[in-house]
Amino acid sequence: MSTTNAEPGTAAAPTTARRLSLTSQQLNEGGLAVALIALIIILSFSSDYFATVDNMWAILGDAALVGIVAWASTLVIVAGEIDISVGPAVAFWSVILAELNGKMDLPLPVAVLLTLVGGALVGAFAGWLRARFGVPSFIVTLGLWSALRGLAQFLTNALPIPVGPSPFLDRLGGKIGQVPTPAILMIVLFVIFAFVAQRTAYGRSVYAVGGNARAALLTGINVSRIRVILFATSGAMAALLGVVFAGRLASGNSGAAQGLEFSVIAAVVVGGTSLSGGRGSMLGTLLGVLFITVIGNGLVILGVNSYVQDVVRGGLIVGAVLINMILATRGRASSR
Amino acid sequence: MTTSTASTPSPPRDPTTPIAVITSASKRYGGVQALRDVSLSIAPGEVRALLGKNGAGKSTVIRLLSGVEEPDSGTVVLGGTPLARGGVKAAQQLGVRTVYQELSLIPDMTVAENLFMGAWPRRGGQIDRRLMTRATSDALARLELDLDPRQPVSALSIADQQLVEIARALSQEPALLILDEPTSSLAAAEVDRVLTAVQRIRSAGVAVIYVSHRVSEIRQVADTATIMRDGQVVDTLPMAGVSTTDIVSMMVGDADLETPLVTTAAERGPVVMRVEGVTVAPKLAEITFDVHAGEVLGLAGVLGSGRTELLAVLAGLVRPDAGTVVVDGQRVDGRGLRHAMSLGVGVTPENRKDDGIVPDLGVDENLVLTDWKKVTHRGVISTRRLAAAASRAITSMAVRTNSAHTPIGTLSGGNQQKVVIGRWLHAGSRVLLLDEPTRGVDVQAKAQIYELLRTLAGQGVAVVFVSSEMDELPLVCDRALVLNGGRIRDEQVTPHIRTDQLLLAAIVEH
Repeated sequence: MSTTNAEPGTAAAPTTARRLSLTSQQLNEGGLAVALIALIIILSFSSDYFATVDNMWAILGDAALVGIVAWASTLVIVAGEIDISVGPAVAFWSVILAELNGKMDLPLPVAVLLTLVGGALVGAFAGWLRARFGVPSFIVTLGLWSALRGLAQFLTNALPIPVGPSPFLDRLGGKIGQVPTPAILMIVLFVIFAFVAQRTAYGRSVYAVGGNARAALLTGINVSRIRVILFATSGAMAALLGVVFAGRLASGNSGAAQGLEFSVIAAVVVGGTSLSGGRGSMLGTLLGVLFITVIGNGLVILGVNSYVQDVVRGGLIVGAVLINMILATRGRASSR
Repeated sequence: MTTSTASTPSPPRDPTTPIAVITSASKRYGGVQALRDVSLSIAPGEVRALLGKNGAGKSTVIRLLSGVEEPDSGTVVLGGTPLARGGVKAAQQLGVRTVYQELSLIPDMTVAENLFMGAWPRRGGQIDRRLMTRATSDALARLELDLDPRQPVSALSIADQQLVEIARALSQEPALLILDEPTSSLAAAEVDRVLTAVQRIRSAGVAVIYVSHRVSEIRQVADTATIMRDGQVVDTLPMAGVSTTDIVSMMVGDADLETPLVTTAAERGPVVMRVEGVTVAPKLAEITFDVHAGEVLGLAGVLGSGRTELLAVLAGLVRPDAGTVVVDGQRVDGRGLRHAMSLGVGVTPENRKDDGIVPDLGVDENLVLTDWKKVTHRGVISTRRLAAAASRAITSMAVRTNSAHTPIGTLSGGNQQKVVIGRWLHAGSRVLLLDEPTRGVDVQAKAQIYELLRTLAGQGVAVVFVSSEMDELPLVCDRALVLNGGRIRDEQVTPHIRTDQLLLAAIVEH
């Protein structure tokens, strides 16, 4: 705690605190952007292939496979909740799409719509268990995490199920011109979610619930409804990513998106969102998603042993959050 | 007492040497002089009541004795040893134990584990449960408590938990035991058990400082009383032979110094809220009153009087066992806060920090939480309308903030409170239920809040102002009801609201 000029404190304190708390978020995003650029420069010098246009599009395409669900997850985490079921949910809904479209011969638009609605309903159910009975969201989604993967494997005997041939799905899993379609989808969703988070009553209510659920309740905010919507959105986005996966693999695959939930949570947390709720930004998560994808891409290009890749990735994620925490504590200490 | 002779290992104390002596102690917190030249002395085996209104300095005295704070000037001497900079540890070594009003037991651990918290007896690397259970039984027996030491604390009644807490303090052989409002959350029958325990403790030669608002129980248990007012000791005198009226007048002091904002009761508008026969056993019994548009209705009551429970019923948060609360012909009781809100009821919680503000959100967003619709179009926030609503509220209530976006957590308590009230004005509430709106707020902000309430009443808003600080009610209220033991004991109308009468009605046992 600095004591140097704390004396005229009472009057000056709000000013200092405000300036620092503003910088703390900017510091976060700025620092992450700098780290990202540094990483890209280092990797460009280390490998000839890394800095090619092809690879940049590939990175964006890979980022989309995390980002499409990461935006919804950011809101979930800002509200002080967590959804760890996204990986199995993606696999499950890709299987369901294949079952509906490939096996049951439903027209593709109907199958896609049913898949998305199903994802939203399962998510809403999880949110309802949380909101109505107070079951911790970690437990509810842990149950889903296990059940959805199991169900997907049971339905398919763990074999891929082909989807019917469809130019739409091919395009969804492929490219438009040079650009991977999932990347476009990710960017569009980013804009929507960033807008919702910052500029809508719903988005701000999510921050209020995460910042102080009791206070939010006592101002008449329908906290239960917000929790249900949060998980429904997260479920729908997982189903959407399931559809993308089905397009990419031309099949529903019960083994898809292994470990996705951890990449998503890592990206959100690296992006500066507080796991205890109330704080976080979409821009931070975007940077977090890119950071994690670039690391993954770089490690592959450098030919690092795939097991060692996991170790390095783990270390970098903890390191990034650690630096974040240290900066935040410093900021708070000097504002006293 | 006869029962505890065998198990009284406490050393015999010279009854003439005082156990604790405070000599001309003064203490400031920021701009507030909490204690001014306070001296007091407590002898072994003495039960001393500490009396005073909120903010009189009782808790500061307790903090000095238990080593949480040290005085700016003056000394604290415990058992002949000055307590200098030693803090809580030193005070404990010198034999001071404090039982605070909030329970500090861990509910899911057993009585025995709680009694030995952090100092569990060990044998061969594991906790010696048999020894612990036996020692706990002994400690409980000293208070004639018949509880199973292996029971989890959560299975006990609040009174038993309070007694376990006292037993824990006693098991550490204190010379001075401080009890801070030990009975405020207890029903009458349970209070007697605590009082019996205190008498037992006294007979073992332990000095007791007993803080309570309930005069009748103080009469039963205390030998002497120290009465405090405005950070000073008014007098220390034997309880025998002093009347409750005298005590109250010492607590209140001379006439109210501040000039009231209301001199004659406002012309009352129509009834907006009708409360009839509201009963919540065992906290509230048959509460009946009306709230009129354009009045500030004070609801006075000390801790444990039922004021918090009553407010929860009025806001629709708690369903009463009997009785109704009606706003504009519609029932509110037990129908949920949102229903009450839709009828124009707004409520600000007693605990502003935990239940009131969303600290990381800006002042503007904290202001509009109650009604987003006023600043949105199809769910999308209009930056312009949000800024306009915020600046209107900030100006009209003189909220001191750097900008409308400043996180509310960085504002002072008084300014936070204005925002918390302001959010209901934003929602257009016509009945405001304010639970201790001036708690933890500085003098200037208090005056501003009083003024705000008068202005609102002038505009036809009905304000229910809950307070345990009796001297602020005459300043701002048109009418005041006194709640004591879950019943309304008194009603006073401006200009005849008198602090001493309110206090008397609030603390005398009926």
